[in-house]
This record gives sequence, structure tokens and C-alpha cells, in this order.
Amino acid sequence: MTVATDRWIPSACSACYGTCSIRGHVVDGVLVKIEGNPDSAIGRGRLCGKGVSGIMTLYDPNRVNAPLRRTNPVKGIGVDPGWKEISWDEALDEIVERLRKVHAEDPRRLFLQRTTTNTSGRAPFFVFAAAFGTPNVWAAGGGLHCGNGAHLISGLYHASWSLVPDFKYCRYAIYFGASKGHGAGHVSCTNMQDAADARARDMRLVVVDPMCNFASAKASEWVPIRPGTDAAMALAMLDVIVNELGIWDAEYLAAKTNAPYLIGPDGCYVRDPASGKPLVWDLGRSRAVPYDDPEAKDLALEGDRDVGGIACRPAFACLRRHLRQFTPDWAESITTVSAATIRRIATEFATEARVGSTIVLDGKRLPYRPAAAIFFRGAQGHKNSVYNCYAIELLNQVVGAADVVGGALGFSPVSYGHPDTGHPWYEPTAGPDGLMVTGSWVARHLPYPISEPKVPTTMSLSELFPLGMFGPSMASRDQEDLWRRFDLPYRPEVMINYGANSLMSVGNSATVAETLERIPFIVSFDLTLTEFSEFADIVLPDTSYLESVDSRPDFPFIFNHPAGLGNWSWPIKQPVVAAGGQRRPSAEVLFEIAYRLGIGDGLNAAMNAHLKLQGEQRLDFDRTYTHADVCDRELKSLFGPERGLDWFKEHGVLSWPKRVEEVYWRAFLDVRVPVYWEFMVPLGEKAGAIARAHGLHWDDAYYEPMPRWMPCPSHDLRDASYDFYGFYFRDTLHTNSFTNENPWLDEAARMDAFSYTIAVNATTAKAKGLADGQLVWLESPAGRRVRGRLHLTEAIHPEGLGVGGCAGHWASTLPVARGKGVFFNELLEVDFDHSSPVNQNLDTCVKLRIVP
Amino acid sequence: MRYGMVIDLKRCVGCYGCQLSCKAEHATPPGVFYARVVKRESGTFPNTRLVFLPLLCFHCANPPCVDACPTGASHVRTGGVVDVDHDVCVGCRACMQACPYGARYYNRDPRPYFGDQGPTPYETARGSGGKRGVVMKCNFCLDRVQAGLDPACVANCPAHARTFGDLDDPDSEVARLIRLRGGTQLEAGLGTDPSVYYLPP
Repeated sequence: MTVATDRWIPSACSACYGTCSIRGHVVDGVLVKIEGNPDSAIGRGRLCGKGVSGIMTLYDPNRVNAPLRRTNPVKGIGVDPGWKEISWDEALDEIVERLRKVHAEDPRRLFLQRTTTNTSGRAPFFVFAAAFGTPNVWAAGGGLHCGNGAHLISGLYHASWSLVPDFKYCRYAIYFGASKGHGAGHVSCTNMQDAADARARDMRLVVVDPMCNFASAKASEWVPIRPGTDAAMALAMLDVIVNELGIWDAEYLAAKTNAPYLIGPDGCYVRDPASGKPLVWDLGRSRAVPYDDPEAKDLALEGDRDVGGIACRPAFACLRRHLRQFTPDWAESITTVSAATIRRIATEFATEARVGSTIVLDGKRLPYRPAAAIFFRGAQGHKNSVYNCYAIELLNQVVGAADVVGGALGFSPVSYGHPDTGHPWYEPTAGPDGLMVTGSWVARHLPYPISEPKVPTTMSLSELFPLGMFGPSMASRDQEDLWRRFDLPYRPEVMINYGANSLMSVGNSATVAETLERIPFIVSFDLTLTEFSEFADIVLPDTSYLESVDSRPDFPFIFNHPAGLGNWSWPIKQPVVAAGGQRRPSAEVLFEIAYRLGIGDGLNAAMNAHLKLQGEQRLDFDRTYTHADVCDRELKSLFGPERGLDWFKEHGVLSWPKRVEEVYWRAFLDVRVPVYWEFMVPLGEKAGAIARAHGLHWDDAYYEPMPRWMPCPSHDLRDASYDFYGFYFRDTLHTNSFTNENPWLDEAARMDAFSYTIAVNATTAKAKGLADGQLVWLESPAGRRVRGRLHLTEAIHPEGLGVGGCAGHWASTLPVARGKGVFFNELLEVDFDHSSPVNQNLDTCVKLRIVP
Repeated sequence: MRYGMVIDLKRCVGCYGCQLSCKAEHATPPGVFYARVVKRESGTFPNTRLVFLPLLCFHCANPPCVDACPTGASHVRTGGVVDVDHDVCVGCRACMQACPYGARYYNRDPRPYFGDQGPTPYETARGSGGKRGVVMKCNFCLDRVQAGLDPACVANCPAHARTFGDLDDPDSEVARLIRLRGGTQLEAGLGTDPSVYYLPP
């Protein structure tokens, strides 16, 4: 007689990159329910629709169960690869042989691509790339669409990946194209709870967005805006606040920003000849002193000064003058938001910030600024993402509402560790010119200090764009032209793909397909065969998140740990069921490849560094380890020898209380952030010189120290027959293109009015004789077309066309997802002209016309 | 005692957590939703409102579906929970005609979610699909409730928009919320006296 087994296994979701803590109910080896884990701060026991639906991804009969090799050498969209099952040994033998050659010749010819959906699983890829010696790693459209600007600005100002209002204390939040707390993304489930609590106590939420769905539907006020014009509205609000109302937080600006730094006629700091440090004007002693002079008590924010014959003024005075050109009337013509509305919202925001007020928490008197300006995907998804996010962030800065009680909070930029061990420990520090260097980061290079621009030697040209994360030239139309201009001394020979579907996630599929066709050998770790898999030579069957282990699903904390007071939680991911078929975790396979290649010493060294392994938990260079071994060592290194993987498998999560000094760290740490980007002046000159020397069209207007609004390519289009601004939004039911194959989520999306349709303003549509439910083509100026059904609604700007997520799969291997929704990215051009010359962000809005 | 639910439309963010956690809890076949979310739009641009409206069986005190059922399959259980006895239901669907809220589903031809590819191990283990030719609906997760748990949609709601309890107890959280926040029944004029109340958005 068999005894029924019935267990609840704690683990971590990966239906999106938010990675909420879950418990899997397993009966007789079958997963029968996924619930949130109430022991963890990450989700606090609640899950979104995607999270509870993971069962159907796990048990998708279309999962890949064995390694596959293509038999058809011809690659292309819709070309059958002629898959043949092979053994793991055969697959790895071939992969290792290919990699050995590349490694010997030029390791940079290895191109690693990963999905953003399971960002938490990137550590093994990170260390593999480091050990192999390739800088060519990207997230298949991640960054280009979602974060080159937003994460940069969050990092520069908040030492964090993203921002939320301090939900517990904020009284007035303004969102620019963000949905934090309304269903998707980083910290999604905890944010939903905290945002609902904030609504319940009547926090006013103003959402600036072309569409009224998600956050805007829950807002106190929806402000419809023309896509891509967020900076114009934010700049006009700033003009009202500092030039009409005369409100700013002088104490904050003087102590926590570079507002008092003196700027000379060349736009650069006036520096102390002896120390080279930027000078400030000390009103007490009526003279210029280095910014960190301990005697300086009263730093000027205004007034023209003369320092050794150089006419100069404080950065804040420059900013105030600069802002005068951005009047509400000017902004109205760009944004379609009335000058009166801009003025009113600016006044409300600045007044509600309550400059000068304090609050006592845990016996400590802290600044209380209950107003927050939050930007994300909507404001950032443009060629002008840097200025858009910069301008919005300045709203927080001028009123001092940054990482103080009630203001805009980074997600957990300071951690002083578990009380028993002091790990993990990190905090922002003062870097060059006193400006903040983040203590924790997610991507390869830090937002600050800014590296010197160089002639690029990477596929993404990233050395030329120190403010970017990923560049479109990894998969752009003009990839070869750009590489030739910069004499890139190699071409990608082998690509290893981790779960990304770059055919759909970057831009139009034809452009991406061309770049993939040029790569001689592609290996792809996949759950199912996707449109991307058609270009792979070998597909390796990956385990899903419900069959995998990971010691750090929610680390770095700045990526997806909730902000605000409460608990820290460190959960793990562990298999809730045994892996089916011949599936193997990609991390284990990468380790095996590295050891077979003979680069295990480099892998182990990179692991020691990346995971910060301590003492006896450090890996020996001459041994082999499994990924589970490494996870065990990381946990012991962080939390003591008694709390290794076995402890975490049983308990699921370790939690401890946050401290006021961690959450509201700004008041406690002596770091400054830039309200004037002086570093842009030399950066623009140097990067521009390199670019021009290589014949690249360059626009210096993107490299100014203070933000302005720059039009997107769509705003500059003169052909009036393209009369809509098309954009996509993140649907609460889907993560990227990944969850489209989940039949529960697909079914829900089919019932939703917006998920799979093209939202168009009802009045506009009716004037054109278009009907609800009508099947139409959307056509771009470049002649690209996608088909979809119109949904007539009052919940969208008259000039907008809103498309949900990244749907419209066509692969026969995805029978659930195939033919559902609209493939918006197909309309996007991927080239240098459509990306930012400062951070390489892709413009994701496009002028369109509707063709019945 | 009368079981009831209060749904706070101000807290709900339309994440579909209720609809899908209900599906996971009950392993309902395609097309059957004991809980679901609809988006209701009102006003004209730019004065538009979009309300996320979670729906489920209202477990009416005067349930027209029970009155309409010719076999007694639709019946009222403890705490006023309206349920269907699938051993007695003959699938005549008179109850569906009678229910003004569209809360009942006829299980015409239950198929697995991946169709011809067959049921997943989950669907097999959970006996997903239920009985063919009967009417299916929400029963307030009575098994969970009797085990001391909240209904699945309540326990999971990330926005804490749902509260479950005893409407007859004036000290219960549901009674308190209805009183303090002005909870209303949907289409109260029909006289069905739903046990589900909505708090204003």
C-alpha cells in the first residue's frame, strides 16, 4: 500500500521577474496548487493571476523534454529546423567542441542572450560569461525597452533599480507611465497590497499616461498625455515650482545634491586648484570652498559669483534659469495637457511635499516629504528616456522627497544584514566629486561614476555609451554597418540563449532574424520551442522555475525586494516537483560546459566574486561544484554554517526586521546626487569625438547637463497619414511573450477587453468609420504591418493606439499562444536612428495608420 | 449565520488573482469561472472611469436559481451557501436562465486545457473537468471555510480587496465594512438579496 504524500514546499515564483515567494502544494508528486508564502515579505502570501497559474506552464505538454538538434541547415522565419532528438552527451560534446574553438580564437565571439522574465536566474550566466571572457551579454530587448533610462536614473539618485512612493506615508504621488502597485513587475504583489493601503487612506495618485488602465484606472486623477512627451510636462511642473511658486528644499539641495556646486561659463564645475574638488559658495565666510569643507555651513544656491576671475553661479541657479524656457503653455502644445492642469498639479505636488516638515520614527527625527514622482516604462521607453526620467526625478529632488519619509523610495538601497551575521551588507558611498555610488547594482557597470567613453570593442558598442546598459546593435538593422565603422575585430560565432525569444522581444522580427541568420551556431535553453528556437542549432530542455534551485531569487534586493519599513526576507527557490523528461537545470549544464572546457578555475573565481563567498565557503579553483553546492555555500556564507541549502529547503525563507536607517537612509548617509549633470559636458565631447571620427551621425543635444524635451522619431514624422502614436503597455495577465502559452492566462486574456486588442479612442475611431471588434492592419511608416482587432474605448488618448504586452506568436510549437493578440514589436525599427545617442534606449512608440 | 463577502472596489487592481486562484483551487475546465473579473468603463474621454469588477456567485438569500431548479440539485447549504448537487443535476439549465448574474456554467463538453494533447498531471490529479452535462458554480469554497480557511479568492487577493465572514454578526468584519463604507449589493432591486457586497471604488 502506498502512503499518499502531501507537502507544501516553499519556493519562488518566476512567472515574472518580480519573483514573489510561493508555496507549492504537492500531492503524490503532482503540483496541485501554488499559493503565496505568508512567511515572506516578498508577496506576503498573496499572488497575482500569473503566479497562481504556473502549474500550467510546468505541465505544458509542449515542453521540450530532450536535447534537440536541427537537421535542416537552412534557417529562417517559418523554416522547419527538422528537429532530431539527441542525447545530452551528444549535445554537450558538440557545444563544447564549438566553444573550445571560439575560446581559443577569441572568446568575445561568444554571444550570451537571456530573458528578463527570469532575471533572478542570471547569476550562472553572469559568471559563465566572465569565466569564458566574453563581454557580449544582453537581455534580448531588456534595457532597450524597459530600463536603460529608468534604471540608470533610479540608480543615480536612489541607488536602486526602481522607485515607489513610500506607500505608508506618501500623500501625493504622481506616476509618469508607471504601474507600481497595480499588477505587474518588480515587487508586484507586495506593492499591490501597499498601494491598496495607500488608496484606503486616501493618498492622492495622479497618473500621467496615454491610457487609463491599471494604475490610471485606480488613480485619483488620470492625465492623458501624448506618448513620449513626459519630460515636457515634468519640466513645466519644475518651472512652476521653482520659478512661479518659489518652492524648494534648500536644506536638502545644499547638503544632499550638487545644487550648490559652482558652474563656470563652460558648463563645468569651478574646481579648487589645490584639490580639484568642485567649489561651493560659503555664505558665512563669503568665499568659495571645496564642497566637503567641514567648516562650510551655509552653501549658496543662488547668486552670481566671481571665483578667481571666473564668473560662476551655483548649479541650482543654472537649473532655475534653464527651466524658465519650459512654461506650462509651451508644454501644453507638446503634451496636450492643459497649462492650467500642469500648473495645478505642480502646485499640489510642491505644496503636499511640505518642505521643512519632520516626523519622528523609532525615536529619530526625519524629514517628512509626503510627495513622490515615479517614472517607469512609459516615460522611459523612448529615444529621450534619459531626459524624460531625469526631468521627472528632479521633481523629487527640488522638494527633497527622495528616500525620506513619505517621498520617492528606492527599493532597499541600504542593507546592514541579518542581525546574526551582518550579511548582506551594502550602502551607497560618496564617489568622485562627492556624488553617490550605489552600494548594489544589477547590471554590469554602475550608473556612477561614469566611465570614460572609448572606441567600442563590444557587439553592443557599450563602451561608447557609458550611460547605457544594452545597445540595439546586438540585433539591429544596421548592426554590420556599425560594427564596421568601429572596426569590431570579431563577429559572433556562437550564441547561447537562456529562454529569451528575441524574435519577438526586441523589435521587428525580420531585422532580428537577419542578425540571427549570421550567427553560425546557436544553442538555446528553452522550456518550449518558440519563434526563436527556429534559429537554434541545438535546443537544450531546461527545467522550469518549479523544477530548479536558486539561492538568491530575490537578490540583489534593489531589484525586487519591497521598499519601506517591514521585514527583510531572503527566500530560496527549490524544486517543488522532480524535473520531467530529460530536462536539466540550465545552471548545472553551464557549469558542466565550463568544467569540460577547462575554464572551471575562472568560473569558480567569478562565483566567489559575484556571490561574495566568504571564508571556508569560497570555492577552490581546482575543484568542480554543482550549482546546488554553490547555492549551499552562498547561503552559509551569508547566514552561517547552520543555515545552508537544507535549512532553507525546510524553512523556505529567512526574515528579519528592517531598520529606519536602512529604509530612510538619505538622512543618515553623507552622499550627494546630481541636480546638474556636469559630467555630461566632457562625456558628450569625448563620446561625440569618437562617434564623429567613425562617421556616426551625432546629436550633441542629448548630452546637455540639464534636461530638455527631445522629440521621438514619431513626433518628427511629417506624413500626416500616419495619424496615431502606437505604443504597447504591460498587461497584468502576461509577462513579455512568455506567459502567452499558459492556457489559463490565455483564456483570461481572451476575456479581457484590452489584453489581445488594439485600444483606440472611440470618438476618433467612429469619425474614421471604424467599429469595435473590427479586424484591421496597423501600418508603420517603414511599411511594417500587424493585424489585430480594435477595441473602441474612452480610456485612451485620442492620438494613441495601445496594444497589450508582447503577443501574436506564430510558432506551431506554441499551440495555445499562436495567433493570440497583437505583435506590436513587429512595428518597431531597430537601428541607431531609433535609439538614443546617450544611452542607446530604443524608441518604442511609432507613428501608425489604421488600414481596414 | 449567513456567509457573505465584501469586495472593496477601491482596493481591487484587476490583477485576476481571484479568477485564477479560484481556477487553481477548483480545477475548473475551460470556460468555467466561479470567480472572474470584468472591466467596466464609464464616462467619456477624458473623464473616463475604468472599474475592475470582480464577480462570483452572490449566494442570494432569495436565490432564483434554487427556486427554478426542478430536481432540487440547486440547494441552500449551511450559512446560506448556494450549491449544486451534481449527482442530482440533470443539466436542464433552468437555474442559468433564472440567475440574473451569469454566475453559473453548464459543463457541456469538458475538455482539458491543452485540448487533444490530453490532460496535464494536474488536471488528472484534480479530476479536472468535473461531471459532464451538469451546472457548475462557486460554493464560497465551503470545504475550505469549514476547515477554518477563507475562500481561495479571499486568501489570495494581493490587494486585500476581499473579506469573508458572517453577515448576521454585527461585529464581523464584513458587517462592519458594509456599515462604515456603505456596502451595496449589485442590482439590489431584483430582490435576490445577494450575500456579496461591494464597497465603492
